[in-house]
Amino acid sequence: MKRFLIGATIVAAAACVPFFLEPRGYVIRVLCITLLFAALAQAWNIVGGLARQISLGHAAFFGTGAYTSTLLLINFGISPWLGMIAAAIIGAIMALLIALPTMRLRGHYFALATLAFAEVMRVIGNSWSSVTGGPVGLSVPFRPDSLLMLQFKTPRPYFWIMLGALVVVTLTFMVIRSSKIGYRLRAIRENVDAAETIGIDTAGTKIIAAVVSGALTASLGTLYAQFQFFFDPDTAFGLASISVRIALIAIIGGVGTVAGPIIGAFFIIPFEELTNSLLSNKAAGVSQIVYGLLLIAVILLEPRGLIALGKTVMTKLSRRKAP
Amino acid sequence: MAFIQALIDGIMIGGVYAMISIGLTLVFGIMGIVNFAHAEFLMLGMFIAYYAWAWLGLDPLLAAPLSFVIVFGLGCVLQRLLFRRILRAPEISQIFLTVGLLIVLENMALWMFGSNYRSVTTPYQTSSLSLGPIFINVPYLFAFLMSAVCGTALWLFLRLSWFGRAMRATAQDPMASTLMGINADRMHMLAFGLGVGLTAFGGAVILPYLTASPTVGGQFVILMFTVVVLGGLGSVAGAVVGGLAVGVIQSLSALAFPIQLQNLVLFVVFIAVLVVRPQGLLGDVR
Repeated sequence: MKRFLIGATIVAAAACVPFFLEPRGYVIRVLCITLLFAALAQAWNIVGGLARQISLGHAAFFGTGAYTSTLLLINFGISPWLGMIAAAIIGAIMALLIALPTMRLRGHYFALATLAFAEVMRVIGNSWSSVTGGPVGLSVPFRPDSLLMLQFKTPRPYFWIMLGALVVVTLTFMVIRSSKIGYRLRAIRENVDAAETIGIDTAGTKIIAAVVSGALTASLGTLYAQFQFFFDPDTAFGLASISVRIALIAIIGGVGTVAGPIIGAFFIIPFEELTNSLLSNKAAGVSQIVYGLLLIAVILLEPRGLIALGKTVMTKLSRRKAP
Repeated sequence: MAFIQALIDGIMIGGVYAMISIGLTLVFGIMGIVNFAHAEFLMLGMFIAYYAWAWLGLDPLLAAPLSFVIVFGLGCVLQRLLFRRILRAPEISQIFLTVGLLIVLENMALWMFGSNYRSVTTPYQTSSLSLGPIFINVPYLFAFLMSAVCGTALWLFLRLSWFGRAMRATAQDPMASTLMGINADRMHMLAFGLGVGLTAFGGAVILPYLTASPTVGGQFVILMFTVVVLGGLGSVAGAVVGGLAVGVIQSLSALAFPIQLQNLVLFVVFIAVLVVRPQGLLGDVR
């Protein structure tokens, strides 16, 4: 109950933030993207964090979600809200199809297989031009300021939608984590063979987690499309732009924890935006170099992420103060 | 006839694929680390050969040893600074350290070399040998021969030299080899340097028929992993078989599919192999 109250207070406080910001401003745009990526990393966390199955291919679901709702909107005028449901269903089916052959793979092999799946989707997106528009990409038809069409002229309403999405995904993560499936997933993380021996259906458990994660990621893809109004196969199915970034956020924050993806996103996304705006004119790629170095530093210093790093620093400081 | 032509082209390209992937499999076999950044060393090899050509007028085939030496040195330093620290770390740390290195190397190249595509001109660039109705592309042939020579040299090194045998001993049993007086840490450093150096060598020999760019590594990541997974991660002989197989698959699929779907065939083969025989076609079940 106490945790619920704290959570509700934080969300309520966050919901008030847009009133203090310029509604068309840059800051609120960055915050929208941050919330979206926090939600994506949280969805990744269900599989990557709880079962420690490292997916490097979540862009497959993300891009499929973006394409599903946008194609439904362009070709049939279907509201993106319904498109988002369709995206979730297709994302779930895709996750099932990917999980069936890959769930027995461990560690590096799983990472490689998921990476290849996302690349398959990228190639399909680029070459199936009659449907996807090919490398040119797709533009979402602009019908602004309509809640039904999930489109607004200013970023402000998007802020609440993204916040709502983050809350939904985080609650899903928490429910799964404290359910039977959550315990089974953690047993799989610690030792697959031991989990199998005590009678856990490891394959079935992994599939359920993958399907939930895939469905959530696909529906967040719809939100991305409605927010950006334009995307192409290389961004929507991108390895660096989506797959790696989602996983990175969870890892830098603290993999497997509730707060990890959120802290990671609020660290990485504004950092990226800042370095991009400061450095992009001077030298291409410098912000990405810093980004990569940061990742290496986190892995070498504290692989459990920023949360654990913060705790270690705090204990060291308090020890130094104490006589 | 088109089939035989595609087969020969496939073997030529596949020989090079084998050579660039041997480094990746070597690093895994000896250190147990899957290096996601490995293809970036191919890119570095290409750029070293490009600048050797642009500034010194050196043919890329002659610059290949230079690429090897420079990247070998860089590899030793990176092993000291980074890879040594994650040898016993969880897989998640290993994966993301190498992913971080990939991002750094690619963007450093972008920053230093610019995003332009760069290619060299050589006197043999457009020439080909004709054997009746079959044509052999001379740049392919040279790259294939260079790869074959280098691969044989590596094989002899691993079989006959003391270092080679010590390296293989470290891969088999680090503890026992340490007891025999082998410095496992130094063997890891040499193996990593050798692994990335060989891939850089491969980067130089393909420069006559491919263009160098900072993102060229991305085109080779899945390809290299397909080669090594096909042959069994950690198996040098497997990489040779895998490389030839991938070259032939790619070349033959070009007969049936449009060019942009060529990679799709490769990915499907990759996933199928992972699913059916993750230990590789030649590997043993562990």
